[in-house]
Amino acid sequence: MNALLGPIDDDGRIPPTQQTRIAAFLMSAHGAQARQLVTTMPMRLRQPWHIELHAQYCREMEILSLIMHSTSWVPDPQLPFLLWQWETTWMPRPMQGAGDHFHGLLVDMAALGHAIHAGIRPAALLPEGVAPFDPFVLAMRRIEFESGRLLQAQILFLKGPQLVEVRNEVADAVERRHDQVRELWTSMLKGLNVVAE
Amino acid sequence: MPWLTCNSRRIHYELSGPEDGPVCVLLNGLTQYIKLWMPFRDGLVARGFRVASYDMLGQGQSDKPRLFIEQDDQVEVLRDLIAALGPGPVFVGGISFGGVIALRYAIEYPDTIAGLVPMSSFAEVPPQLMRLGTAMRTALILGGTTYLQDLLFPMNFSNAWLEAKADIIGLATYRGWLINDVYALQNLMESFLSFEPLTPKLSSIRAPTMIMTGEFDFLTPRPLQDSLRTHIPDSALVIIPRAYHAFTLERAELAAYVMARFAEDVMAGRFQGKKTIWIAPEEVGGELTPFPAGFDHLRSIPVRLPTPETPETSEPAQQREAASS
Repeated sequence: MNALLGPIDDDGRIPPTQQTRIAAFLMSAHGAQARQLVTTMPMRLRQPWHIELHAQYCREMEILSLIMHSTSWVPDPQLPFLLWQWETTWMPRPMQGAGDHFHGLLVDMAALGHAIHAGIRPAALLPEGVAPFDPFVLAMRRIEFESGRLLQAQILFLKGPQLVEVRNEVADAVERRHDQVRELWTSMLKGLNVVAE
Repeated sequence: MPWLTCNSRRIHYELSGPEDGPVCVLLNGLTQYIKLWMPFRDGLVARGFRVASYDMLGQGQSDKPRLFIEQDDQVEVLRDLIAALGPGPVFVGGISFGGVIALRYAIEYPDTIAGLVPMSSFAEVPPQLMRLGTAMRTALILGGTTYLQDLLFPMNFSNAWLEAKADIIGLATYRGWLINDVYALQNLMESFLSFEPLTPKLSSIRAPTMIMTGEFDFLTPRPLQDSLRTHIPDSALVIIPRAYHAFTLERAELAAYVMARFAEDVMAGRFQGKKTIWIAPEEVGGELTPFPAGFDHLRSIPVRLPTPETPETSEPAQQREAASS
């Protein structure tokens, strides 16, 4: 087991098998966020938070496109099973006590977003000597950086005044989503002989 | 590596030095972690102290609460750590954010420590510090941990240090980025959004207290440290020459020496704070010298204090009168 991705090849690139598995995981997670955002967003944007949802959706789509076009994809026979496992985990689970079903969904979506954007740090797995301008490397760094910004909308919402009365339930929902994301992320990395601390 | 569990959260800590030595507990500042205490810790260990350093909640390898973290949570961790260290004199030293938690602890549990050493710390958030803090939070949000660290380097260190260490700053930044998480740092910063000044409570600190401040610290400038001095009953203020905010890193051996001297004086019954002001020596082994009497320690230029008896006939006033006539 290693703490970082690799071994890198002579050109400083991450092995395509590792690229494929990580890219698939990220596409699954960020794709789930994009789907949830687009189904929550009304056709006409009328409220300030609608604008934020739209911005989030566009950034998630950018991340998906970036992964799609920067990864050296290779066949991975385990992906169908893994994708099924990942996708079922991302399914909405409305938080109880949020007032109504819709708000419960919003909290869960934000909790999952918080877990994905805060809990997954792909750039931290890049080993020393990696080619700094390799597209996959650049993409991982960009995704981690953008995740730090995307996280802000989730933090603002989850810490916002409208949820103060259910703060403990919100904290539990966020913890639960973090645990799920962490478990899948570390399990996926373990399959690549990488142990994430 | 030992772990402490507090309210089901895991805290990473390290113990160094002789088991029967008096204990110094060290609390880190924002973006810092255990390893950065090493030269400071070694200075204390060399003088026979047992040193407990730890990653504060939300930092380093300790647990990082996802969404909510209060400064009271940090105080509880410190309480449990001190309790776990057993009987014997305990000195608590904290820098910057860690100093704030040390102050809170000393207010809440005044009889559990032998001495307190707030370094580059503060008990209130005046407009300059509030705006700097807000700017740092924005830097973290928009630019990530690396941008925040870039902002902190010139506040923390002197030109001489930055020049001398230019080749390792990249590595230090990388390590800081790796070990810190944006959301966790943000949570720590946002624990100041509801910050109530500690100043009215400082008088309840009963432990002898040595406040340490860098001569050139412009992140938490001297008036903030001086406010601690004037409100903590048994206190003294020590100015570290030519130091900036993070003197536990830049002048680690000297700062450790000053803290060790303080602890030794307290244990020997020699320490008498009396709200005095001192200048630390330039090197380890030197003597602390009293700040020159009659001068204002809060100014950079030597301004004489007005004499209590005849404040309107002070020397600068006389000079101005002579000049105008």
